[in-house]
Amino acid sequence: MGIDRRTFIQLVTGGVVGSLFTPVIWKSLDDAAIWSQNWSWIPRLKYGAITEQASVAKFGAAPCAEIVKSVGGSPYLTRGNAENEMSKGGVDPVSASGPQLMYSPSRVNGPMKKTAEGKYESISWEDAEKLLSEKLAAVKGQKGKLAVVSGDSTGTATEVLSGFAAGMGAECYLMPSDEQGAAAALASMGGKGQIGYDLENSDFVLFVGADAMDSWGPVVRNQCVYSASRPTGEEIKTTYVYAGPFLNCTAAAADKWVPVAPGTGAIFCLGLAYHMLKAGASASASDFADFKTLVMSRFSPDKVEKATGVAGAEMAAIAKRIMKSSAPVVVAGSEFAQGAGAADVIAAAAVNMLLGRVNKDGGMKILPELPKAVDAAEGHSELVAKDFVGYLAGIAAGKVAAPEVMMAYEANPVYALPQNTALAQAVEKSGFLVSFSTFMDETASKADLIMPNPTCYERFEDAQTPYGVGAAMLAASAPVAEPLYNSKPTVDVVLGVASGLGIDLGYESADAVYQAKAEKAGADWDSLVEGAAYVSDSTESGSIKFAASVLSKAVAMPKGGEIALAPYSKLIFGTPTVAIPPMNVVVISKYELLGKDLMVQVNSKTAKKLGVSEGSKVKLAGAGGECAVRIHINEGVMNDVIAAPLGFGHTAWDAYSSGKGENISKLLTVGTESGTGLSVWTSSFVSIA
Amino acid sequence: MQQMEFDTKWTMVVDVDKCTGCGACMVSCQAENNIAPMEEGSNKLKTLTWMLVYELNNGKEFPNREVAYLPRPCMQCGHPACVPVCPVVATTKDEEGGIVSQIYPRCIGCRYCMAACPYHARYFGWLDPVWPGGMDKALSPSTSTRPRGVVEKCNFCHTRLMDARARARSEGLDPNKLPDGWYQPACLEACPTGAISFGDVKNPEHKVHELVKNPNAFRILESIGMDPQVYYISRRDWVREQSDNHVAEDKH
Ligand code: SF4
Ligand code: SF4
Repeated sequence: MGIDRRTFIQLVTGGVVGSLFTPVIWKSLDDAAIWSQNWSWIPRLKYGAITEQASVAKFGAAPCAEIVKSVGGSPYLTRGNAENEMSKGGVDPVSASGPQLMYSPSRVNGPMKKTAEGKYESISWEDAEKLLSEKLAAVKGQKGKLAVVSGDSTGTATEVLSGFAAGMGAECYLMPSDEQGAAAALASMGGKGQIGYDLENSDFVLFVGADAMDSWGPVVRNQCVYSASRPTGEEIKTTYVYAGPFLNCTAAAADKWVPVAPGTGAIFCLGLAYHMLKAGASASASDFADFKTLVMSRFSPDKVEKATGVAGAEMAAIAKRIMKSSAPVVVAGSEFAQGAGAADVIAAAAVNMLLGRVNKDGGMKILPELPKAVDAAEGHSELVAKDFVGYLAGIAAGKVAAPEVMMAYEANPVYALPQNTALAQAVEKSGFLVSFSTFMDETASKADLIMPNPTCYERFEDAQTPYGVGAAMLAASAPVAEPLYNSKPTVDVVLGVASGLGIDLGYESADAVYQAKAEKAGADWDSLVEGAAYVSDSTESGSIKFAASVLSKAVAMPKGGEIALAPYSKLIFGTPTVAIPPMNVVVISKYELLGKDLMVQVNSKTAKKLGVSEGSKVKLAGAGGECAVRIHINEGVMNDVIAAPLGFGHTAWDAYSSGKGENISKLLTVGTESGTGLSVWTSSFVSIA
Repeated sequence: MQQMEFDTKWTMVVDVDKCTGCGACMVSCQAENNIAPMEEGSNKLKTLTWMLVYELNNGKEFPNREVAYLPRPCMQCGHPACVPVCPVVATTKDEEGGIVSQIYPRCIGCRYCMAACPYHARYFGWLDPVWPGGMDKALSPSTSTRPRGVVEKCNFCHTRLMDARARARSEGLDPNKLPDGWYQPACLEACPTGAISFGDVKNPEHKVHELVKNPNAFRILESIGMDPQVYYISRRDWVREQSDNHVAEDKH
């Protein structure tokens, strides 16, 4: 009879009572334990000097200033860098996985080109650059033939790409984010620069939509600021209120959750403005009178209640509470950090203006842009305001010709765009798709040429004024580890290719560009790479107006009577650029992913109305596609709303993220915001079958 | 049962009201303690997460629903239920500081301790740990890897205590009287909202010494008398009430 581990345990536990007092059993148990723990392969721990180095991680949605711990030169653990203002200590759950992501099985090991059979073959960097140069030479100077998209709005790398695109006579875009609506909003209000919020000096923070603790703006910094205002065991110094359709992490952490229907953030803010105007609030802006007329005529409490679900009395109470605070601030954004358009930000800015909180400590700030390092590049705010989704929608509709070459830098448009099925196809229509991705993501797996960028731990990197922070700032880092694979920093690739094409961007290497950026900003490069952030205390002068004419066109009352989709995104599930990191898989709740099934959430009243119950399998259909999901009943969702997580349904990457759940982006409906012409997708409705 | 008392008592205090449920502590704990990634995460009976963030709610319907997040490491109980049931003495509470240790090479995987622990803080390795690709190169030097078939649990990042003591010795300080903040577990270090505090509850110079006396401080399942070394703080009545298996109709 063979003895396996199970019989062994039965024997031991049976005999143990009687034999506890004889030493023989201890010896044999010890031996047996060793024998029973046979392990086919035991990974060896690496020993060596333990070192710590500051870095700027770009794995998460916003740059995270970290300290990376390495053993014998290999990073293995990271923590927040409390000395750095950009994220103030703490790490997000994607950046916490940074060292493991660096060794991820999804890494692209070297440049690859797609063969005629659709397979990938490795090529040398020399050949890859030659191929790229040939393709680019063929389209140089011809409008519409080259498009560049970047997923990193904070890095000077994007400035290099923008300058390069300008030299080529082409367009450079950013992947959609909350920042886009804010840039368009500021432009409509007659301001220039970048909108930010000084949360740390505020005593009342109202987040409208913006899921600041998990997806909006500089998440880790928001969390640290929130924490500092409520020291454990002491009095709360700042009241936090969250207004949105779903009891997300921000709502859970807030002192109060105000349920507001998806896509109605602007109406909510204008509803507040109504009560404030009634109480006599005003502001010295050229179009104040127009704004007042607009609000009083179109955003009366009954209309606002019908659209947002917030009763007039509650709205009045919130307005009163804000006006009573000494340093309140209102922050608007999308619940899933994209697609909100400008109206929400304009409406929130209007409330801040009525409160007299623009460019005040603890209020909404208008930050200057740091000087450009690359002269030929577009200014940051112009770049941000450009509508990549609109451009692709034009291609999908056959109204705009697809580019002959498309370059995607740290961006995964094939996966991460709204109305995904159609827009991913528009990306694939490009004649020659080049991916500069570190990982084998969905875009890389469709690309004709993959030129892998090293991770932020293996290259120089910088980050300027992430959207949402309350001051203009700059951080930078040097590599913390030797490159693992045959990768090459995209900036170096672009600079090389550019000079071959006769485009002089003024620099020869990535670190030279970053150093120049620091110098122009007035920062000390050495202290940046040692982990400090440069912070500027200046704000843009000049006043802004209410943009009443834009608001009057852009804000439309919803029809009602439909089931609205409330997408949410959590850093645990990765970001639009990074799929679920291997170590984050077990952190995902079984109410969000059950086996391979995605769970969406409705409250019991909506469930009854829809005739579904816990665990029901249903099909959600939106304008852009269908998703098969399961129902989870959660009373933290508004009536007639389905809350659904983004970040699942990957088709590329690795076993940790691929084939799990559905990509809810398929269901998001892209519309156009009147008044600004921006593509928006925060109001999506679904049918259920 | 007689309780062992030590001069130092390492204690964690978690501010439930500040935890946003982001999960950074869980990820950091895995990295620090070499918990292998798992492809399938929703089978919570087989996953390994020494630190687990629970989602609690007040049980009310929309719109009165409230949610709280409760991070749960091992409680390092004063009267640990897991220790006396272990037939091979793989787990003990004899370390100065009151950390309940688990000796992996001695564990025979009988899982009595798992059955005994009311906090579900112990985990059995059902699967061979696998670090794919080159991910074994990111293994932490501080914790040995464990094979399948043994029970593991949070040990308050015990090796960090040893590191802090070594530092104290090298700087001529008493290794048994560490200054506040010298010994920080990985989960605390990662937490962006500073929800986790940690220190020696017996040392008046440590923040936790006062925190545990906060009127809103409580421990989970306090009434069963296991004397946990993890405290929680919440201003919300319903959070505190749930901590002791409170049922609304119950008389206390
Ligand atoms: S929490 Fe569980 S495993 Fe930890 S000491 Fe207490 S009984 Fe043991
Ligand atoms: S104290 Fe250490 S082992 Fe315990 S949960 Fe925290 S990180 Fe994990």
